[in-house]
Amino acid sequence: MAPDAAVSAPSLIPAETLALVGQRLSEPVTITIDRREAQRYAHAVGDENPLYFDEDAANAAGYRTLLAPPTFVSHAPVPPRSASQLRVDGLYNTGERVRLLVDRMMFGGEEWDFPEPVYVGDVVTAETRLAALDQKDGSKGPFVRVVRETTYTNGEGAVVARARQIGIAR
Amino acid sequence: MRVTEPRVQRTLADVSVGDDLPIMRKNASRAQLFLYSAASFNPHRIHYDRAYAEFEGHPDVLVHGPLQGAWLTQFLTDWCGPKGRLVGVTWQNRASAFPETDLEFHGRVAEVDPATATVELEVWEQTSDGRVIMPGTATVRLPS
Repeated sequence: MAPDAAVSAPSLIPAETLALVGQRLSEPVTITIDRREAQRYAHAVGDENPLYFDEDAANAAGYRTLLAPPTFVSHAPVPPRSASQLRVDGLYNTGERVRLLVDRMMFGGEEWDFPEPVYVGDVVTAETRLAALDQKDGSKGPFVRVVRETTYTNGEGAVVARARQIGIAR
Repeated sequence: MRVTEPRVQRTLADVSVGDDLPIMRKNASRAQLFLYSAASFNPHRIHYDRAYAEFEGHPDVLVHGPLQGAWLTQFLTDWCGPKGRLVGVTWQNRASAFPETDLEFHGRVAEVDPATATVELEVWEQTSDGRVIMPGTATVRLPS
């Protein structure tokens, strides 16, 4: 995405970070969708849909087995990490490649496509690219919109989900 | 014991442009926020450490953006019924949401396409006094 011409504040995006747009941000991660983890997630949301808990209900609706809640697939690939890597804000210091001159990250929103269902037991590969990076002038000062796009592919090679996650750094 | 109840199936013929979806209400306890942090492997302090959240300028701990997104998908999949399918959803987290606060999910049918059996929806999350904090859109497929 082209930098916003209206930006008047000094750039918060170093040139080497801007060069990452379009690049893969990390090696792809492959995980298995675990029934207990998916159900724990559904309970934490308060979404006790029979399709996530009741095999017969899933079969009756035409699914071969239990489904995972739609957005669970974005959390399942989170790698195990040492607590010694936690920053003061509680997020992990993972040697973040998207370095900006601001570091308070707020969640801006998401855009999802779900081409195929995600089943419990599916082997899913997640691959994340930096889709866009642009600086804007907000009412509370300049901020950077960071868009990461993750594609989720199942063991048969079908894309099951695509997520664009929008972060606001200020 | 069943944790779930059988759901009603909606069909494309039941739906018209302009229809309002039944409102879904949520009110998250602090324990629910903690459970969501745990279930989504998210250690961000603004969701459980009030003193830290205040240090960052928030009046209280915040409801996770992805939890509100997951509520939105619940709102939609509940409306679709078991044989309907959520095929796309977008949302923008415009303002913070807090625990022990009434939150409402609303939706309206924007478009019905019988050729593809899909329905386009306008959706939003608002506070009980009507302030929209998370607008969005969705596409669902319903059985004919």
